[in-house]
Amino acid sequence: MDDAASSIAAAPLPTRKTLRARSSLPYQVMRFVAFNIRMLRMVRKGHH
Amino acid sequence: MARVVILGAGISGHTAALHLKRRLKRGHEVIVVSPNANWNWIPSNIWVGVGRMTTDQVTFPLRPVYRRKGIDFRQALAVAIRPEGDGDHESGSVDIVYTDPTRLGEEERLTYDFLINATGPKLNFAATPGLGPDGNSLSVCTAKHAEQTSAAFDSIVDALKRGERKTLVIGVGHGTCTCEGAAFEYTFNIEHELCERGVRELADVVYLTNEYDLGDFGVGGMSFAQNGFVTSSKMWTESLFRERKVRAILRAHVERVEPGVIHYEQLDGTKGTLAFDFAMLLPPFRGADLKAYDRQGEDISDQLFAPNGFLRVDADYAAKPFEEWTAEDWPSTYQSVGYSNLFGIGIAFAPPHPISRPRSTPDGTVISPAPPRTGMPSGVMGRVVAHSIADRIERGETAPLHKASMASMGAACIASAGAGMRTGTAAAMTMYPIVPNFTRFPESGRSLKETTGEIGLGAHWTKLLLHYLFLYKAKARPGWFLIPE
Repeated sequence: MDDAASSIAAAPLPTRKTLRARSSLPYQVMRFVAFNIRMLRMVRKGHH
Repeated sequence: MARVVILGAGISGHTAALHLKRRLKRGHEVIVVSPNANWNWIPSNIWVGVGRMTTDQVTFPLRPVYRRKGIDFRQALAVAIRPEGDGDHESGSVDIVYTDPTRLGEEERLTYDFLINATGPKLNFAATPGLGPDGNSLSVCTAKHAEQTSAAFDSIVDALKRGERKTLVIGVGHGTCTCEGAAFEYTFNIEHELCERGVRELADVVYLTNEYDLGDFGVGGMSFAQNGFVTSSKMWTESLFRERKVRAILRAHVERVEPGVIHYEQLDGTKGTLAFDFAMLLPPFRGADLKAYDRQGEDISDQLFAPNGFLRVDADYAAKPFEEWTAEDWPSTYQSVGYSNLFGIGIAFAPPHPISRPRSTPDGTVISPAPPRTGMPSGVMGRVVAHSIADRIERGETAPLHKASMASMGAACIASAGAGMRTGTAAAMTMYPIVPNFTRFPESGRSLKETTGEIGLGAHWTKLLLHYLFLYKAKARPGWFLIPE
């Protein structure tokens, strides 16, 4: 097994709970809002 | 009355044109020179490449927008800059050759008071023998390329449905490529489509990259604070590769692409081959084929442009080892050093050095990502240079220039990993600043608060939202300027 393959094989896998959260509509609506607010904050902070 | 000429109508040039026209009073001229008649929201080309969008959904004709905004559009290719003018003109000028079908091949010399070079990259498929749609691999760099790639992908899916095994390789076609993020996105969109079409089991999906580690993305990777720990984009990306069963070949320089076989060299000097049935490999970039001449007609291209063809601006280009790189090396005004009325923005400006640590093989082959400067930073550069030029036109040559260094600018990167309003997913990343600043952020070079990453359906919605927002903005619809770059 080469370096990349062994490194990928050792990477953590998401739990079932994490996978559910990634596709859960109510949770993802919240994440969508949170990410967009974060993006706007960063734009305001970093763009002159 | 002043004339501003903008070479290129991509994200940076088009943004600059719209802001300039909005800022300047009537009578001043804004001229855009671009060989392409259409504007393309390139980040969505990956969706054209898997058949989720059509070319019409990611492009629109520029001429009607420019006509409505009072911007003079010349569908032409710029071939030479004369920053000192010529025997007939005191002011600088640029030589163009029309690609407009109604004036095809016609040559013209346009004088200017200010010039913005926003020509974007030349897609340098020629750097690797056999690379590209005219050779033995595919591309999603343009909407047309993406359409061809989508058709090739459909054929592969048909073969998989017939029970044939297929190897799909996605990545970069040279050791010095940039835009690994786009290759990453296309890899996972392909993987997602294979699942959606019920043929994943027979397909081997391989990501071939020049990155030293997964998650480098040409920005040296990122560190995130998550659940009380500082984690890396490497771990995060490797986890996605494991979950989606995508193989990776790292630290690779593609030497040549033969029909069905990729020949590559890795950082340790070992050589390998990879058989493929479908290969989408991005090309390296270089500057557009522009020459520069002084007033006497002497070639001064070497002074104006770096060896890779990109325009030298207010960066520190002195060669120095990786350990001595600083945030201050990066340009902030994008003004040419020798000519105060000439600016280079977007991909067209010459970066002082990469962001990722440079590496090469024992034989000296460079295998190291070039720094990305597309999307958000390109738009910001277009806006600040437009304001700098507008200030100088209105208030004179002493007006201070606006600044936007990539070492003090943040960026959001939404890497799609599959389309679909209910089944889609994407990796949403923010980083601040783009170029690490170890003086301000000694721990990782970036703010751990503002550098974040998460995967989920919501990130896909954000990618889709940005698609519609930026097309709206680029079409200069009412209130376009309220949408940040």
